[in-house]
Amino acid sequence: MITLNINKKTYNIDVDPNTPLLWVLRDHINLVGTKYGCGVAQCGACTVHLNGEAVRSCVTKVSRAVGQKVVTIEGLSENNDHPLQKAWLEKDVAQCGYCQAGQIMSAAALLRENKSPTDQDIDNAMSGNICRCGTYLRIKSAILLAAEMQKKEGRKA
Amino acid sequence: MENVDNKYSRRAFLKSSTLAGGGLLLSFTCLSGFSSSGKGVDAGTASEWIEINGYIKITPDNIIKILNPNPEFGQNVMTSLPMIVAEELDADWQKVVVEMGPHDSIKLGPQFTGGSNSMRMYWKPLREAGAAARQMLKEAAAQAWSVPVEEITTKAGMLHHEKSGKSGTYGQFSSKAATIPVPKGMKLKDVKSFSVVGNSKKNVEGAKIVSGKPLFGLDYKYEGMLIAMIEHPPAFGMKLKDFDASETLKMPGIKDVFRQKLYEDGFEQAAFDTRTFNDLLVVVGKTTWEVMQARKKLKVTWEPAGETKNTMGGKKEVIVPGELECTARQLEKFKEYAAKPAQQLRKDGDPETAFKNAAQVIERVYTAPFLAHNCMEPMNFFAHVMEDKALVAGPLQVPGFSEPTLAKLINLPADKIEIQMTRMGGGFGLRAYGHYIYEAALISKKLKAPVKLVYTREDDMTYGIYRPMYTTTYRAALDANKNLIALHVKGGGIPEHAVHANRFPAGTIDNYLAEGWRIPSNITIGAFRAPGSNFAASAEQMFLDELAEIMGKDPIDFRLELLKRGKETPVGKNNDYDADRYAGVLKLVKEKSGWNKAGSEKYSRGVAAYFCHNSYVAHVVDMVKRNGQPYVERVFSAADCGVVINPDAAANMVEGAVVDGIGNALYGGLTMNNGEVQQKNFSQYRIIRSNEAPQKIEVNFVQNDIDPTGLGEPPFPPVFGAVASALYKLTGKRLYNYPLINQLNSPDNA
Amino acid sequence: MKQYFNKRYILPGRMLMIILGIVIVIGVANSAFMVDSNADNKEFKQGKGNDSIASVKAFEDVYEVLKSPRCMNCHPAGDVPLQGDDSHLHTMLPKRGKDGHGLYAMKCGNCHQPENTPGLHTPPGNPKWALPPSDMKMVFEGKKPRELALQIMDYNRNGHKNKAKLLEHARDTLVKAGWNMGEGRNPPPLTFKEFVAAWDTWIEKGGYAPK
Repeated sequence: MITLNINKKTYNIDVDPNTPLLWVLRDHINLVGTKYGCGVAQCGACTVHLNGEAVRSCVTKVSRAVGQKVVTIEGLSENNDHPLQKAWLEKDVAQCGYCQAGQIMSAAALLRENKSPTDQDIDNAMSGNICRCGTYLRIKSAILLAAEMQKKEGRKA
Repeated sequence: MENVDNKYSRRAFLKSSTLAGGGLLLSFTCLSGFSSSGKGVDAGTASEWIEINGYIKITPDNIIKILNPNPEFGQNVMTSLPMIVAEELDADWQKVVVEMGPHDSIKLGPQFTGGSNSMRMYWKPLREAGAAARQMLKEAAAQAWSVPVEEITTKAGMLHHEKSGKSGTYGQFSSKAATIPVPKGMKLKDVKSFSVVGNSKKNVEGAKIVSGKPLFGLDYKYEGMLIAMIEHPPAFGMKLKDFDASETLKMPGIKDVFRQKLYEDGFEQAAFDTRTFNDLLVVVGKTTWEVMQARKKLKVTWEPAGETKNTMGGKKEVIVPGELECTARQLEKFKEYAAKPAQQLRKDGDPETAFKNAAQVIERVYTAPFLAHNCMEPMNFFAHVMEDKALVAGPLQVPGFSEPTLAKLINLPADKIEIQMTRMGGGFGLRAYGHYIYEAALISKKLKAPVKLVYTREDDMTYGIYRPMYTTTYRAALDANKNLIALHVKGGGIPEHAVHANRFPAGTIDNYLAEGWRIPSNITIGAFRAPGSNFAASAEQMFLDELAEIMGKDPIDFRLELLKRGKETPVGKNNDYDADRYAGVLKLVKEKSGWNKAGSEKYSRGVAAYFCHNSYVAHVVDMVKRNGQPYVERVFSAADCGVVINPDAAANMVEGAVVDGIGNALYGGLTMNNGEVQQKNFSQYRIIRSNEAPQKIEVNFVQNDIDPTGLGEPPFPPVFGAVASALYKLTGKRLYNYPLINQLNSPDNA
Repeated sequence: MKQYFNKRYILPGRMLMIILGIVIVIGVANSAFMVDSNADNKEFKQGKGNDSIASVKAFEDVYEVLKSPRCMNCHPAGDVPLQGDDSHLHTMLPKRGKDGHGLYAMKCGNCHQPENTPGLHTPPGNPKWALPPSDMKMVFEGKKPRELALQIMDYNRNGHKNKAKLLEHARDTLVKAGWNMGEGRNPPPLTFKEFVAAWDTWIEKGGYAPK
């Protein structure tokens, strides 16, 4: 039995400790917002926060998350009102939408460490997240907008 | 504290409707109790929803639900198609609820996501549906108020009768309206009076996307659902010989390992029933990871399949060669076949004589590799095949293509099969092919259990149905004054060519010859974002650019000259483009990009335009060298797709196609070694990333009242030529083989 | 004018030959017989067991390992690590960052686990996985044997390592991770044991740089 703290909730799960966190989230806990894209940390669709760091859950064994804090897209904000979520809607970023949860989780790690990211900072943070629909320009403008919102709201990302 | 085990909650997959304004209205469907005869009726809440017609349901308290008929894979139909209904219905968009419709071609039309056809196909039917419903509501109110129907007006979901001062909501009259005969020959609104269409509306599923709600096929859950995966041969031309699953079966969570044939011998395949691997090795278990791990323990012997036969509709037999193909050999074959006589597709004038008498002949050969679709959501499908009925659910573009074959394969009448369409994590054409639905259904039938078939990324990338591998030879004949007197295009491919004989510049040159040839192969291919066009445009636009340079002309002016000729004195028949609209996007992009004007000196500029899938698009690509590598920093686009339904979403489509086009032009490609695909994941298959996307893409639309056409595909093909031409300006070298970066960095190019 | 220059400023041919000869001799001595090849690390000067020939010979083996992708890929010339046996730029272009552990959502440890991830083309792992920090980049990529040897022996360019620290470094878990490269990657040309032996010999015998 493995005990996990995900989105401030405690879960006890009977699972092989070598199972990637991604599949524990998706198959065992039914938090399917975290996506499977490549399984080898190439695409970023599975990005979640492990103690605030934007880890790729497809290669992160669930055992690494024991005793740590996991946050998924479902727990990023209380009411889906994280500045990034609002900015994503404002800029109407998504096309198919499959990669966007991972994009937002990566962007959230960026905004936590850098309140006023430049285009270069965004590239440095986001080049691990593939969007096959090619919405990169809107992702970038949504991150810039979220940074503005964050400043105005005086909110901690 | 929550204890979790593997049992899924009984409520199964969450089915939720989205309020257009951003709110959320939830309804749950208990899938285990679905009724296949109740198609089109929302089982859980049917008592509340009054169906006015197939697309529109209204509750007594005036919530208006519009069903989106067409599968959504990112092209925005979930938002933009209901906008058309809302426009003619006079609904308040903020109060409209949108829901994905079931598969029901009687009520919801062709349900075809492909060929950039959604707008074209549904423009009129959806306007009529909205207008008819509005008329029925007016009739209902007129009867209730005993006033002439002509005196009733509508606005934002309300009915008004000015003289009597009466007014009411659509909801109040919805049950009565449902009994009124459907009117015919409705007068539709004037395009200029539109208030919903033409005004940007946010994606109705945006809130669910950014909060991680279950939307996609891979998110689909069902009580007792097992996970299945298929171990397929490691190479095209190979097949399963034997296997030992003893170790696999000992792995935790594993339920079964078995062989499953997709099509029995002689089974008549429909056009989209592509067969890549027919003899399947299936591993079934409780969870995805357990099945992935257990697959590694399989001991499988593969053997060459040799020459095989596919039986297509009408018992037509197609021979599939057995060769284990290599990319180097494929390129050699291109040269051999290009030298042979080919099928004539079109001929104008006397091209042979013109070439013989030419002062100068320019000949260029272009090649492009297989491309994998690489949808972010790998192929998957849920199936629950029971004795007398079946439910299948997941991402697919054209349910109507798959249903007849599915019915035959699981031996159930089509009306006993419910097909639910989830949001798709990309499609790009691949999800028009139904093999993974059939596989899922056959596995479920055999196991007598609900099953979700899941492809890993590696499965997805190596399972076939690629953009074909192409080549085209262009020849131009110039007279002594450098006038273009003849053009010859001869294209081929594995297994099909990309020559569109009647497209521009056909019709603009006196002497013209188009030919095509094919090399049969066991590597399966299929539609890939603007099929055929994506390469046809690449080669043609690159050639026109080089030709313009040789003739001493500006590349835009050269195209405009040809189009002028095509408009005033067209050569031949069946020219497949409107010269004015084609010229229109070129002129617009010329103006918007400041072509040949001061201010863009730092950029290497390339231009291209194309017409396919009923829309016209031109791009100007501005390239620079960044860290020693070519980088597209800016793009100006001009598109003519008639009336633009949802402008911001349409711009998003063009932006995405530009990014996709840059990525595929520079980096995309699959290679083969003895039939084995060399790229198995994104580590080897390079996809354009955030830092490689342009800083700016300016999208401009030609404003007109022409019935709308699509945008998913048309902006994609012209990107290639524009990128190639910009790269020539940047490096001074003309490149002819895709992906361009490979050729640029190749030692042969030094 | 031409004459003037010839006489006053240009050395006569014979004289030039002599000076050149001296310079060459000094150069040879420099590399083969120390002088300043390990001069930046005072510990090594006039060490008792110094043997420049044996030391340089051992370094040749060390160099083969250091320039192998398993070592060089994380000692790149730029701020983006390299990947694969062909040492291409890491596909998603993670950047070094100040501490060498990456930036924002692109930290090394976000993908590189404490241990290798099974499978082909998966991230190899180590608890310390990182690049050298931005103030001590310790670049291997593009360095000739002499440059690299001098760099390693330079206290101010080697991460402030004295002799003991240098000897210890070969036994570091992250260095050793080069031999635990994960599926589908070639190991360095020497075994870990051979590498440590060569490293020790090179340093114990004076840490000489080849010419």
